[in-house]
Amino acid sequence: MQENAHVLVETRGVSKSFGPQTVLSGVDFTLRAGEVHLLAGENGAGKSTLIKILAGVYQDYKGTVLLQGAPVRFASPRAAADAGIAVIHQELSLIPAMSVSDNIFLGRERTRLGQVQFGEQAGHCRDLLLRLGLNVDPGVPAGNYPISIQQGIEIAKALAFESRILIMDEPTSSLNQEEVDRLFEVIAGLRAAGCGIIYISHKMEEIYRIADRITVLRDGALAGTAPAGELPQEKLIRWMVGRELAAQAEVKDVRQDGIGIEVEQFTVQDPRGLPRPAVDAVSFQVRRGEVVGLGGLQGSGASELLNGLFGVYGRRATGSVRVAGAAYAPATPRHAIESGLALVTNDRKTTGLVGGMSIARNATLAAFPRYTPWGLVRESQETAAAEAYRTQLNIKCADVSMPVNSLSGGNQQKVVLAKWLDINPCVLLLDEPTRGVDVGAKQEIYGLIRQWTAQGKAVLLVTTEMSELLSLSDRILVMHRGQITAEFARHEATQEKVLAAAMGQSAAGCEAV
Amino acid sequence: MFRMKIAAMLAACWVVCLGAPAADKGTEANPWVIGMSQCNLGEPWRVQMNADVAKAAEAHKNLKVIFKDAQNDTLKQRAHLEEFASQGVDLIIVSPKEAAPLTPPIKKAFRDGIPVIVLDRAVLGKDYTQFIGANNKLIGEAAGKWVVKKLGGQGNIVELKGLMTSTPGQDRNSGFRKGIEGSGLEVIFEADMQWLEPNARKEMESALARFDDIKLVYAHNDPAAHGAWLAAKAAGREKDILFVGIDGLPQEGQAYVAQGVLDVCFEYPTGGKEAIASALTVLGGGEVPQDMVVPSRYFTKENLKDGGAALEE
Amino acid sequence: MKKFLAYPVTRALLALVIIVILGTIFNADGAFFDWGTHRDMLRQVSVYGILACGMTLVIITGGIDLSVGSVLGLTSVFFSMLSIHWGWSPWVTIPLSLLLGAGCGMISGGFIARFGLQPFIVTLAMMVFARGMAKYVSGGQKISNYLQKPDGSFENLELPAVFDALDARLLGNNVTVVSVILGLSVAVSYLVLNRHRYGRYLFAIGGNEAAAALSGVPVLRAKLLAYGISGMFAALAGICQAAQEYQGDPEAGTAYELSAIAIVVIGGTSLMGGRGGIMLTLLGTLTIGYLEKILSLNAVGEASRLMLTGAIIVGAVMFQRNRAN
Repeated sequence: MQENAHVLVETRGVSKSFGPQTVLSGVDFTLRAGEVHLLAGENGAGKSTLIKILAGVYQDYKGTVLLQGAPVRFASPRAAADAGIAVIHQELSLIPAMSVSDNIFLGRERTRLGQVQFGEQAGHCRDLLLRLGLNVDPGVPAGNYPISIQQGIEIAKALAFESRILIMDEPTSSLNQEEVDRLFEVIAGLRAAGCGIIYISHKMEEIYRIADRITVLRDGALAGTAPAGELPQEKLIRWMVGRELAAQAEVKDVRQDGIGIEVEQFTVQDPRGLPRPAVDAVSFQVRRGEVVGLGGLQGSGASELLNGLFGVYGRRATGSVRVAGAAYAPATPRHAIESGLALVTNDRKTTGLVGGMSIARNATLAAFPRYTPWGLVRESQETAAAEAYRTQLNIKCADVSMPVNSLSGGNQQKVVLAKWLDINPCVLLLDEPTRGVDVGAKQEIYGLIRQWTAQGKAVLLVTTEMSELLSLSDRILVMHRGQITAEFARHEATQEKVLAAAMGQSAAGCEAV
Repeated sequence: MFRMKIAAMLAACWVVCLGAPAADKGTEANPWVIGMSQCNLGEPWRVQMNADVAKAAEAHKNLKVIFKDAQNDTLKQRAHLEEFASQGVDLIIVSPKEAAPLTPPIKKAFRDGIPVIVLDRAVLGKDYTQFIGANNKLIGEAAGKWVVKKLGGQGNIVELKGLMTSTPGQDRNSGFRKGIEGSGLEVIFEADMQWLEPNARKEMESALARFDDIKLVYAHNDPAAHGAWLAAKAAGREKDILFVGIDGLPQEGQAYVAQGVLDVCFEYPTGGKEAIASALTVLGGGEVPQDMVVPSRYFTKENLKDGGAALEE
Repeated sequence: MKKFLAYPVTRALLALVIIVILGTIFNADGAFFDWGTHRDMLRQVSVYGILACGMTLVIITGGIDLSVGSVLGLTSVFFSMLSIHWGWSPWVTIPLSLLLGAGCGMISGGFIARFGLQPFIVTLAMMVFARGMAKYVSGGQKISNYLQKPDGSFENLELPAVFDALDARLLGNNVTVVSVILGLSVAVSYLVLNRHRYGRYLFAIGGNEAAAALSGVPVLRAKLLAYGISGMFAALAGICQAAQEYQGDPEAGTAYELSAIAIVVIGGTSLMGGRGGIMLTLLGTLTIGYLEKILSLNAVGEASRLMLTGAIIVGAVMFQRNRAN
């Protein structure tokens, strides 16, 4: 990467504040043609604000934005898009019921005499998708495709307008390994074609795999910019959090006697009604004080297993389950909670929190009957409990009566955890507990998981992040197409073995279950 | 296949209709069939009209009436008329929802040889056997004259109007104004209560709040007069005010007069009884005048037990 | 000022104050300054306010109840029939009427919660059904103390004392009984929404139903409760309506559901669910009540009245929208 390579977009001393709160102060940032520029920082560091300025969402900022050397100030997101800046959001912006082709040309339909040229659009659309290695029918509703393909469609949409600047906000957060690989190939192609890509990610392995240069923001200010090769991981983390993180504590063998949850021949029918069961007669157990990691690719059935155990699918989940020795038949989440189960879902926005409700009210929702003797709310007890969790889990907020959606992702996730700690569960089912959470909060959550196991809780953890799976789990079960294909003890698990099992091979050298 | 079946059925109907000799009709074993299409049974006055028709028909064993309710839907009523025609009824009584869209189906049935008696609301043109209706203007005027006489030509009046976008509302208003013309009576407060009692009570409360001297309330229907009376009673002023209503249904206006709530109510006759009388004449081969105004009555406490008194022309 | 307007309650209060100021300007020769005018306004708006109480609970769950107007009509007929024609004691007829209303609401709520049907269409069906039942029960005629006997003659029955009692005034002729009933309805709704476990559940369901269910909130029972209470308030409103008209009118309450929804939204409760409160609804009730009173006092014509009401509703909702978002 040459120092004087063509600069696509540049910010000089850009600042932005909301009322008295400054969220971005004097940030200089350059994106060159043909580079992947990684933007890192904890949640709330100002990454989204910077991107929104570049994408024309915010117009009232201080400082200058230069596009190809010329100062610009975009009046609207549309103006930024017309200038060749495309944003691929974490939350996809495709309209599920519209066809792939219509989505791609939405708002800029190719028309002749006012008539949309559907055939021409479809043809052009197919070419674009093939260039990205996607074999997708342009006439099929976009919502019919899995998230990873939809992401590809978003990229195709950007290419359709000859965008030279692509901004990707955590594009891999809902992709499996295979899909990540495909996305990275596409990114490599774009880079070779001279596009500039601003890439946001929290995943270390990903950062070093894809980044050419790394810029780190901390508390709204620039912490530093460096070529990826010259920025070792420790330094990157130091830039991000402003301090050295304690080395990951050695996991002691804290196993206690007794079984937390015991599952035999557990089957979950596919929630969408497909004939193949989502979880197919699996059997395993988690001891008290043990973390069992469930690995697998997207669609392996691990999430469905957790949801099935929690009673989300009602009686479509069958099999013999014992929780702390007592027989348990999944029926409803309420029954699961009363039986000592807790489920941290993989999407806190849609299934974890009631966004408009206060922090305190979210934290007490699962154990709410305890705060309402004779049905009457004891608000003081509720607030006291929330304050206790705020201290215990280090939830950063001005007041526990604030709406929970005013918090950053990591703090929101801590509120989810507080809600489940509040019922004092025997078994914790964790589905991607650190998704969309910054590095600092991630470490805190890992610490909490170790605390719980020390208290004798059983933890069943589903995660697609390999390093998390390997470092947290005492044992690892790997699922493939609804079945458990392998089991590894902590010391024998490696990334390769887990991946092989996840892809359906009975990997050599390990016992298949 | 299905279409053929329908065609066969229609053909059979036709044969039956044609084949039935007129001489056999109109007996107890083979009665005349009258189709009665009511535009809306949501209003008590129209319920009363149906009841009047049913009661009058009951006395004649050689009549059978089929009732249909169009639920205030013009197209539904149009379909009902077409159904009657294809069923081959002997006579149609219709109280149309509105003139223009219902004129063609009425015209068609009439031209196909089915006698049609139109009740209450007229249709366009002259393609019907008889129109029977009461005259709102005359009733309003009679009410005005009664008021002039009763108050001696002096005093303040509150007028609670029905929907002023409807013909009855307009006629009851203009007739009344004509009736009090030239007297010293003054309408000091008027409001549209949309024929609804709760609205009438609300408007009357406003009138009572603004004016200390109200001699009489003229309401375009009886429930509104009743609502006004409730408002006056709550204010302790019901004894100082006279209440006049229109419609005179037995369980509404006449009841209110009997209870002393209304001082007078003017009947707006449904014409149901008259329609059956005309129907018998027509079916028996007789002639009826094409337009007929049903004479109206008024009820006061004194004349109620005699069945009211006829309006003075 | 900006901070002051950050709260929905203060915004709703300001809207009410503006309307009252309009009243003092257009005071109809001083009639607006008479306490009787305010007492009458409270009486007129009470039935709408009682409906709006139940509607608030339902809207907070993210639902809607279109059936309240029809349930009002049905119970007004049912209550009048039992009280006037059959001569039953109000200690029996009032609870039975409330049960009937609650039953209608719970049937809707059951379909919505158990089978996941759209509240709009389920309560629309109940609206049509209950209206039909009101007409069936009453035979399409008003149920008053003037009874038609089988032989066609009429009999003047005595009006039960409960009708007069409910249409009476208290505190030296200064407050109507129905307004007191409105006050009690607001109080009961406040206790349910803000002080009871299930109130919290209603907010949680409206905010995020999936998350609430996964947190162990009994969604089915909470929705049954919300629609049941809405039906019960509709029945209460029906009893008040019958008492004020001295009869049960099968057509009573037609389109009242729209007024109730307008009141709730003008107060500032979100139609999306999860945000709102009963005090907002009370302020919305008073705003609508004063608006109608002022238009009526000044004898504004029907056409202008409808246009003004529409414009003021949209203005109030604009004013009430959440500026934060």
